[in-house]
Amino acid sequence: MKKFKFLLIVYIFFIACSQNGNEVNIYTSRHYDSDDELYALFTEKTGIKVNVISGNGAALIERIKSEGDNSPADIYFTVDAGNLWKVQSEGFFQSISSDKINMIVPENLRGPNNEWIGIAKRARVVFYNPKKVSIDEINDLSYEDLSNPKWKGRIAIRSSNNMYNQSLVASLISNHGIDSTEIWAKGFSSNFARKPQGNDRAQIIAVANEEADLAIANSYYIGLMLSGTKGSDQLEAAKKVKIHFPNQNNRGTHINISGAGILKNSPNYKNAIKFLEFLLSEEMQKNIVNNSYEYPILENIDPHLLIKNFGTDFKEDRTSVSDYGELNPDAIKLMDRVGWK
Amino acid sequence: MKVFRKKTISFWNILPIIVLILFLAPIIFIFTSLFSNFNDNWNHLYNYVLIEYISNSIYLILGISFLTLIIGTGTAWVVTNYNFYGKNILESILILPLAIPPYILAYTFTGLFDLNGTINIILRNIFIFDSNFILFNNIRNIYGAIVVFSFTLYPYVYIISRTAFLSQSISLIEAGRTLGLSKFQVFHKLSIPLIRPAVIAGLSLVIMEALSDFGAVEHFSIVTFTTGIFRTWYGMYDLKTAMQLSSLLLLFITFFILLEKYSRGNQIYSKPGGSSNRYKMKKISGLKSLFAFSFCIFPVLIGFILPMIQLIFWSINYNLSFFDKKFIQIAFNTILISLLAGLICSFIALLINFSLRLKKTKLKIYINSFFSIGYALPGLILAIGILKFFSTIDDLFSNFILTGSIFGLLIAYLIKSYALANSSFEYGFTNISSGIDDSAKILKSSGWNLLRRIHFPLLKTSFLTSFLLVFTEVVKELPATLILRPFNFDTLAVSTYIYAAEERMYQAATPAIAIVIVGLIPIIFLSKMIQNSKVSK
Repeated sequence: MKKFKFLLIVYIFFIACSQNGNEVNIYTSRHYDSDDELYALFTEKTGIKVNVISGNGAALIERIKSEGDNSPADIYFTVDAGNLWKVQSEGFFQSISSDKINMIVPENLRGPNNEWIGIAKRARVVFYNPKKVSIDEINDLSYEDLSNPKWKGRIAIRSSNNMYNQSLVASLISNHGIDSTEIWAKGFSSNFARKPQGNDRAQIIAVANEEADLAIANSYYIGLMLSGTKGSDQLEAAKKVKIHFPNQNNRGTHINISGAGILKNSPNYKNAIKFLEFLLSEEMQKNIVNNSYEYPILENIDPHLLIKNFGTDFKEDRTSVSDYGELNPDAIKLMDRVGWK
Repeated sequence: MKVFRKKTISFWNILPIIVLILFLAPIIFIFTSLFSNFNDNWNHLYNYVLIEYISNSIYLILGISFLTLIIGTGTAWVVTNYNFYGKNILESILILPLAIPPYILAYTFTGLFDLNGTINIILRNIFIFDSNFILFNNIRNIYGAIVVFSFTLYPYVYIISRTAFLSQSISLIEAGRTLGLSKFQVFHKLSIPLIRPAVIAGLSLVIMEALSDFGAVEHFSIVTFTTGIFRTWYGMYDLKTAMQLSSLLLLFITFFILLEKYSRGNQIYSKPGGSSNRYKMKKISGLKSLFAFSFCIFPVLIGFILPMIQLIFWSINYNLSFFDKKFIQIAFNTILISLLAGLICSFIALLINFSLRLKKTKLKIYINSFFSIGYALPGLILAIGILKFFSTIDDLFSNFILTGSIFGLLIAYLIKSYALANSSFEYGFTNISSGIDDSAKILKSSGWNLLRRIHFPLLKTSFLTSFLLVFTEVVKELPATLILRPFNFDTLAVSTYIYAAEERMYQAATPAIAIVIVGLIPIIFLSKMIQNSKVSK
């Protein structure tokens, strides 16, 4: 009897994971609790069940590829434009045909042939300690200026394994070419205050603790820290630093996206379109920016107050996000060559 | 009678080959990358980074081997030879760090020992040092990583060498003592060489796990061969070169496995049988007892107690809400799938090792080492191999779906953790005198009968050890789970990863504690089992 019960449990366990019907299947590399809320709201509003597999972006691409024609994947959702480019360039996306979406999402935040779109934006900005960096120094500062020897031992940034840094360098290559970017990176990496370590938040904390004078990190991290959900020490640290938006005098501050595309073999294409339109609705854009502290794609929505306070009228770099992916391998090799760990 | 025997022998001969094919198929998919051309990225790797990848990995391995040997065999020797205050408890809790994945220890270590970590702050407050006082300077370096790996992985060496020390015959030790060896010489010249196969088995698990790790070294910003593999894949979008690098890593491991087997040569480690008089433990007290106690509690303190305190602190402060209805489902998933994987994997390892024992051919012995090499592959790369293997099978049987099914996930776990199960049985079998088999043969017991009635009862501890190791491994397993799981299927390790991926350790603490608690269940069973088996003897 005992054995039978155990087998029954095992059997239920096995079949519990197979389902079909009115659904949409999402492969995502975003790991935010708030995303679960988005899915639940979508199901509530439309009655469409959301099935999710989350994981590493590159690994999910391999799963989609190896599933081939049988792949149940409808949507690939990620925080890295490079991965979107990769899926697109290998021909696994299809064009998103929705006038509503095309109207909302600006051209530089869309993939070629509308094969993927941005859902939210993040800026890669400079965090500085006003005690250590003078107004003269920070005014009009650009990414390019940071290779100047006067910043020696003053800069904190995370490792070159990080995709945000790879995208930033790729955007520089896109604007200046490999050779001059390499010269820049050589100077820049020799200005590091310490061996790259930790995530973006760790860089901001290093600036607050005066281990470094300034750091390059993504905008939303400061929102997370100021919200207090990361503990009082992070809140205190966040209060000590200020934000500077680089390159306001020329092409603008580096922007990256959270984005999504619909897969070629999507079995629930209509539901997938509905889901993307849902993410771009005013209500959901508000929900996203309030939870993740990202910038919205919709222009009439404000970011979270904690982010808005730093200013929203900064100039954004219009370099096509597609370039980041294409130039990413060059960016990695370049960083290897100059010894940016 | 003749017909019957022929049949059983052929089953036992075929079994290892079938399982080998199943286990090796994913690895072969990765190996095939070696036969396609080496692209331009190799030039780049060779010119700029490869030397550093290799040298860092070697330093890491050397450091970890040294430390785990000292901690693992040292504590095992102390608890099996001396009776001192708290010995019985220490003997069991020395395996606790097994429940903590290295990357979690790495995170808690930075929380504790970083420039502005808990320890530095506490020291400053207690001794009123000024804010510039730093006892622990940067721990995010290779030494920090060596410590982290050693203190989470030493139980592999400890468990196996403890069993080995326990089953050492007293007569040999006594003979050594009578012949004028000092206590240390007995340890050094008799005990250690005798348990060499056990220690090597434990150590190779440690090395394979450390080599395949990504999370901890990445967190400590150390460039290793494995981080290089992932950098090549994620950053250069070059999975093929990443697989070629992984294949080289595997060839390297295989070379060492074969070298070890070869150097062991024809030495027979099967016990002479009969006299398994256990030597009496020596009672020590006073300063010696204190020293023994401290030596054994230290690894538990660093590898388990300190990180648990840090995790509990984070968890209470930031994320107690994790324990809700969803948590029960996730914990249920984790326990059930780990239970299944642990049982199935241990049975397979038992059957294979038994079949190897029935008729030991050279070929079979070498084959058995290959079952285990999957363990040395970076988890995600192995997962990719399994993915390709599954999709081939799915295509072959058109509608058959392995990818994204629980069944597929189970197979992945078996492939991944077979090395753990195998190591316990490999040693367990060497401990059964071959005389027993011969006697059984005279009594016409062979095949299943021999296994069920003679070997299995003798191998209960091996079976439990194997089950424990696989269970805790599957509870902690991440990369294969992430990429091969069905929709909406979460395990505790996945929940931890979802937070830890962005270093949100405060939130990751609660699921991490849950992993530890679940991982503790079989550990408690095992330590009870060990106690019981002692009494019955």
